[in-house]
Order: sequence, then structure tokens, then C-alpha cells
Amino acid sequence: MEQQNELSFDTLVIGGGIAGSEAAINLANLNYKVILVEKDLSLGGKMIHLSKVFPTLDCAACITTPKVSETIRHPNITIYTYSEVKNIVKVSEKKFTATLVKKPRYVNEDLCTGCQECEDKCPVVVKDQFQYDLVGRKAVYVPFSIANPRVVNIDIENCILCGLCEKVCPVDAIDFTQEDVEIPLTVKSVIIATGFELFDPTQILRYGFGKFKNVVTAMQMERQLVPTRPYNSVLRPKDGKMPDNIAYILCTGSRDETVGNPICSQICCMYSVKQAQLLLGALPMADVSIYCMDIRAFGKGFCEFYQQAVGMGVEFHKGRVAKITEKENGNLILRYEDIEEGKIKEVEHDLVVLSIGVLPNPDAKLLFDSPVIESDEFNYVKQTDELLCPPDTNIKGVFVAGTSSGPMDIPDSILSAGAASACSANYIRN
Amino acid sequence: METKKIKTIDIIKEKRTVSAEAKQNLKEYNKIKKLILKSLESEAKTIPQIAAETELPLDVVTFYLMTLRRYGSIETGEIDDMDEYFSYKLKK
Repeated sequence: MEQQNELSFDTLVIGGGIAGSEAAINLANLNYKVILVEKDLSLGGKMIHLSKVFPTLDCAACITTPKVSETIRHPNITIYTYSEVKNIVKVSEKKFTATLVKKPRYVNEDLCTGCQECEDKCPVVVKDQFQYDLVGRKAVYVPFSIANPRVVNIDIENCILCGLCEKVCPVDAIDFTQEDVEIPLTVKSVIIATGFELFDPTQILRYGFGKFKNVVTAMQMERQLVPTRPYNSVLRPKDGKMPDNIAYILCTGSRDETVGNPICSQICCMYSVKQAQLLLGALPMADVSIYCMDIRAFGKGFCEFYQQAVGMGVEFHKGRVAKITEKENGNLILRYEDIEEGKIKEVEHDLVVLSIGVLPNPDAKLLFDSPVIESDEFNYVKQTDELLCPPDTNIKGVFVAGTSSGPMDIPDSILSAGAASACSANYIRN
Repeated sequence: METKKIKTIDIIKEKRTVSAEAKQNLKEYNKIKKLILKSLESEAKTIPQIAAETELPLDVVTFYLMTLRRYGSIETGEIDDMDEYFSYKLKK
């Protein structure tokens, strides 16, 4: 492992999603020197993978990419992607030490132009995690078309070490000698913006996710609805058929004690309503049904958005789906209790979308050596003064932004990041 | 006199070996790719038609056909009369 000299900044922002970028830009605009560390290959977090946002149906990428570009080009922000922070220690007021670990891409980021000639030649195909396993990618790859930085990465675990990428690279950017690099850091304040994890629906065996190929997650559907979709249209992953009778199952992995997540994920109702509307645009002849306990349309314009979906013909059924079975033709039978009629019903659909919930990101807890960061009862970063100063944590000088502190939608994440950056600036200044 | 440039792949090969899983994965991909491309040599076909001809599972054909489409070996053709299945053809 290579060691580098210590770096010093005003604020360390951990996480390069929409909240982390917002917090970093705010501080940088106030002339603070910010280091932003993202564990993934590109900035943009989960938002950059979305099709549109609710309730305005604005293009998600059109909002995210300018924000990401602004972050990357800001002279007061230093960015490390594919890197992690560990061993954060509060030494004294306004002095935190930490270790930054930069993982090897096996590509010289300064030289790579993202031309993808290496990707064309690579003979390996594995599941593309950025298209949620719906299609394959190469072992040397640009994560996705709007990734920033647009630099290739070599998936060394699946690489067959054929050397073709290095042979064809026109700028000699491939470098298999790269190793982990450790960089000591000193900062005055820290913002945790590590975001959330998505619920793994294989935990609910009765829904058959993974076994029944026409049961997909909402993120897989989200990818099918973006212009850079994995297929040529919205299709069933099992046989490429264009679906015409689609079901959504809400609260998959949220508001469910049996899977250890009793709280509402706050976004699933509205992203399902959004996807239903987009599907009716993409597949005008399709029927879309949503199975739910209730619809939580609590935000500005949410109720009107829900009513718009009803007006477009989306059917809402009150009842939790108990079980899914698959027919020989790939269609799926949903067994559920219709609460309004008080009857057990079985209905057939040709594609089922699981509206999966959000979970806390366990990474936040592992960042700190001393003192440790406290979590709330649901394992999100604990806000010590939720009413008067929501970004405050149990460590003075460490602030929380976005979904690290609990489920919330994009506007709330941005608002929360604004508060975290203001608190951070205030802490450094006083 | 021109000196031979050292390729970094030779350096990593001394430290790492390719996993059996990665080798198997490549073998399988090449086999399936060959079957799908051969099936499309005669005419454009839908995914169920390719699966029936190659005796591959439907979801496997979908995954690899869409990957081949992504990397430019295959292109999308017409949709059938029932508006259910697209056909796919070799890219010329």
C-alpha cells in the first residue's frame, strides 16, 4: 500500500450524492476548502440513476448532472471518487484526523479520455450493477453514460488479465501496477452524507424476487424508463415481451416488522405513482395497478400527483400482497386481501414491480474511531437536536446531511444539506 | 535503438491469477454469444424463437441478447402483429 503526505482542508464531506454535492458547493462558495470523498466510481449518488423526479416529472439527470459538474469544477472542492474514509478521530475542537483510502481503478485518471476503445475490445461480460443486473457490462468499463468523472475502471475480480485494454488504449492510461493509496487527512469539520441502502427483496421469499424473472425492483423499472435504458423498450426480463398489465407492490421492506424495518420509507408511494404515469406514457395500452396499505401523499403537490395518476387510469387496490406464484408463460398470480371488499383475491399480471424501501447505510457508523457516532433506534445517524438544529450529531463539529439521518425525498435531502453546510460554516467560524 | 515498452499487465500477472469463476464466465459467454449470433444469421427473430432454437433459457437469451445489442452486434427489428415481441437482427 502506498502512503502519501497529509492533506488539510476545512471540511470533509463524506458521500458524493445530491446531499454531499449540495453541502460541498455551499461551503466552497463561502470560500472554505472542501474535500469530498465518494466510495463509488462517479458522483451523483442514487439520483443520477433515476428517470424523472416527483411530483414535477422533471428529468432527474438534467438536475443532477449540472450539480455534479459544478462540484467537480469548483476550485475550492477536491474530489476523491472510488475512495473511502476511515479512522476519524476528534483530536480537539476544529481538528479531526482521518485516513483516506484511494482504491485502484487500474487506470490513470489524468490520462483516460473515456473513449471506451478498451471497453469495445474487452472479451468479458458480467452483470452491470449500474443497470441493476438487467444487462451485461465489460470488465473494463465506464460506469454509465453520464458518469462523472468519465473515466474507465477495471473490475479486477472479473478481469482475465488478457491485456487487450492496455494494448488498444490510445493514451496509455491503463496501469495495472496501481495499489491502494492511503492519505492522512486533517479537517476542521465533517459532514456525513453517506445516503441510504435499498432493501434486498430476496429477504421476502413469498414474492419470488430472483426466482421469478418477471418480478423486478422499482430501481430496475427506473432504469427501464430512462433514455439510456438497458433494453430497447420497457420489456419483461424473462422473455423480452412488452408488458401490458403491470402491478406495483408498495411497502416491500418498509413498514414491516417482519423484515426489521418498521418505518415508512417516505418515497415509495410517490416514486411508484411517478413510474405508473411514465409507464402509461411509454406503454399507452398497458394497465397499471398499485397494491398498497394506503397512499402517503404528504408533500407539496403530492396529492394532486396521485389524483393525476388516478385520472390517467392507474388502479389502486387497498390490500397487502401475501404471495406471488408464476405461471408457465411467465405471468404472475398475486394473492391478496382486498381490504375494502373483505375478500381474498387472486389476480394475474405479466410484470410485477416491488416498490422497495430504504434502509440506513451502515457505512456511517464505521467511519469514526473516537468518539463513536451515535445512531437512532432505526440505525440512522442520530440527530441530537431534531427541532432546533437538525444537522447536529453527538460529536460537535460533525454534521449529518440527507438520508444518512432518515428516509427523505430529494428536495428534503437538498434542504438538509443546506442546513448541514450552514452549521459547518458556523462551527468553523466561531 | 528502440526500447521495448514494459506492459503493466505483465507485472500484475506475476502477482494475481485469474479466478476459475472468471474463466468459466468467459467460456459461457462465448458459447452463448456464438449460439445467439448463429441463430440470427438466417433471419431476424424474437427472444422466444431464439430460445427455442438454441435451447437456452429465455431469461439467459434476454440478458445476453441485450448485452450484444448494447455493444453493437445486434440491432432491434420490428415488433410482431400482437405488439408483444420485438425481433432482433444482426447489425451489418
